[in-house]
Amino acid sequence: MKWREERNKTWMFLWGVLPIFLIFGWMIGVAWSDNSLCLGCHQDESLKKQDVRGRSISLFVSEAGFKNSVHGIISCSDCHTRIQDDVHAEGGKKAADKSVNCGTCHRQAEKEYLQGLHSKMIMKGTERAANCYDCHGKHNILGSKNPKSMIYVSNIDKTCNRCHADAVFVKEHALGAAIPKEEFKESVHGKTGEITCTNCHGGHSLRSLIDPKSTIFRSNIPQTCGSCHPDITKQFTESVHGILAARGRSDSPTCTTCHGFHGIKAKIDPDSPVHERRIAMTTCPQCHAAERISKEYRITTVPVKSYYDSFHGLSYRGGDTFSANCASCHGVHEILSSADPKSMIHKDNLQKTCGNCHPGASENFAIGKIHTVPSIKGEEFGEKVVGWVRIIYILLIVAVIGGLTFFNFMDWLRKTIDRAH
Amino acid sequence: MTKKYLRMTLNERMQHLNLAVNFTLLVITGFALSYSTAFWVSPITDIPMGMTFRGFLHRLCGVATVFLGGYHLLYLAFTKRGRGIAKDMIPGLKDAVDLWETLKNNFFINRPAKDLKMPRFNFREKLEYLGLIWGTIVMTVTGLILWFKTEWLQFFPMWTWDVARAVHFYEAILATLTIIVWHFYSVIFNPDVYPMSWAWITGNLTEHEMKEEHGLELEKIKARERGELKEFPETAVIVDRKAYALRHQRIKKEGREPLSVSGFYGIVQRFNEVIKNWKGT
Repeated sequence: MKWREERNKTWMFLWGVLPIFLIFGWMIGVAWSDNSLCLGCHQDESLKKQDVRGRSISLFVSEAGFKNSVHGIISCSDCHTRIQDDVHAEGGKKAADKSVNCGTCHRQAEKEYLQGLHSKMIMKGTERAANCYDCHGKHNILGSKNPKSMIYVSNIDKTCNRCHADAVFVKEHALGAAIPKEEFKESVHGKTGEITCTNCHGGHSLRSLIDPKSTIFRSNIPQTCGSCHPDITKQFTESVHGILAARGRSDSPTCTTCHGFHGIKAKIDPDSPVHERRIAMTTCPQCHAAERISKEYRITTVPVKSYYDSFHGLSYRGGDTFSANCASCHGVHEILSSADPKSMIHKDNLQKTCGNCHPGASENFAIGKIHTVPSIKGEEFGEKVVGWVRIIYILLIVAVIGGLTFFNFMDWLRKTIDRAH
Repeated sequence: MTKKYLRMTLNERMQHLNLAVNFTLLVITGFALSYSTAFWVSPITDIPMGMTFRGFLHRLCGVATVFLGGYHLLYLAFTKRGRGIAKDMIPGLKDAVDLWETLKNNFFINRPAKDLKMPRFNFREKLEYLGLIWGTIVMTVTGLILWFKTEWLQFFPMWTWDVARAVHFYEAILATLTIIVWHFYSVIFNPDVYPMSWAWITGNLTEHEMKEEHGLELEKIKARERGELKEFPETAVIVDRKAYALRHQRIKKEGREPLSVSGFYGIVQRFNEVIKNWKGT
């Protein structure tokens, strides 16, 4: 009995340990294998299957592509964990659960991705929202430093544009407007080759426009731009526009209101919305002469109107870039209320502001209303005087020219009639 | 060949041409600012620095017009013909009567139309000339205020500059329309001179034109031709049917050196004669 017990123990040990060794050995064998078992079939370029919709899907895996990828040293089954070997080998196609979980290794990326917009869209059932492999590739994933990689800095816009420049895709998924392929490429950011989609939109954690944590959420835009342009963001956030934008006023401008989004151009580019020829035509008037905004916030449109009729405005509209535009007096990013002592148009600073273009501008030069609208009902004395001058002159012109025309017409009529007789 | 009557000397024609060119350029370059988005301004706005060039040209023409005005004043003061023009340009009761009678003619109150004998400068011309002087003064003063704003605004408030700007603009409209309506009728569309009075090029009026527009002056000239021409000495230089006394004879006659364009013309003519008759030493 004792022996039997001993023998049993030995057998039990053998039966217990051996399978562990075998299993480990098999696992190591698979792990260190050259994947020849899988590639034996899958390196056949004609290997195909029909999906549920009847579309033909290639099952080809390039061995060279895989070997050169960052994952080249790991085994197929490290990622394709759910493929049950015996069932799959028997041709049990339905048993081949191809789903791959990158998050097993890339936990941080998965965590970020799950907070992002693409993953949320997938959860909502959008079939074609970007998965890991849509941006990174499948078997041929390359490192981000490799110029051939889909996520190499100068390739990212191509990667994104596979879906986002596809007009049909954009329409189907209600993404607003397609981003023309060249628009970003020709922008001042695109031309650097160092700034790309992910710099502003984020990578794995790319969020929706309406997500308050998004880098492109309205009131986060100054900070997003400020990651490269910190000085300008500082100026802007202290300006009247920046303060209101930070408070969530959706009509208060932020960086993109004036500069545009994807196609941002240098200000010296005539196509730039902030080119000096456009500042006073569209950039500022898009809000300051807009009926809805002026009504809603009781912003007066007088400055724009009166500017257009002033010497500065008339000459500017004719293309004179030496003539003052809005920004010449009000500033660019640092626009402040005239009540602010730091403002360019604060009464103590006006002489200096005017003096930028009018050397020798006296103290008296800077006194007096600039944005005047001549009217006999005007608020200011000068506006009334000019209003009266205008009325008197118009009456004079009508009377004199009307009188002369009438006199001459009668003269012509009499002479013509006299000649006819 | 019908007889011709000198209306504008070469000097006066050059003054007129100068004013016409400057005025036209001022009108174009001025309204190109006020209506800088109008289609006809595109030749200016399309070229680089067009508006800057426009401003420069406007000031240049303005200065030229002011200098022309100064020259014209000197011409009126220091030439015999100029003094005659100034004297004949003074408006009088006769002009009011002429205007009134013209109106009665034109409204067919005078039937048949009364034949008006008007002086060297008729009421139309006096009105226009005085208007031109007024306009030039207004435009010069307001234009200089606009130009030298830094200096002006050392002493005057901003609204005075705005007033100057408004006056400059509306006076420009008035002046331009006056030229188109009044002057162009007088010299182009008037059936008596149509298609154009050539006086501004040839300097002469025809007898018919003189009769229609300056009947009184025509009678005066004819009277002078009958009587006063005999006073000219036989040595007078006859040029283009006009008699010029030689210089030394005129000095003897008038007792002093005459300061006049015709006097200068006489000097040149005498010099020409000397050269022509030069036989060598």
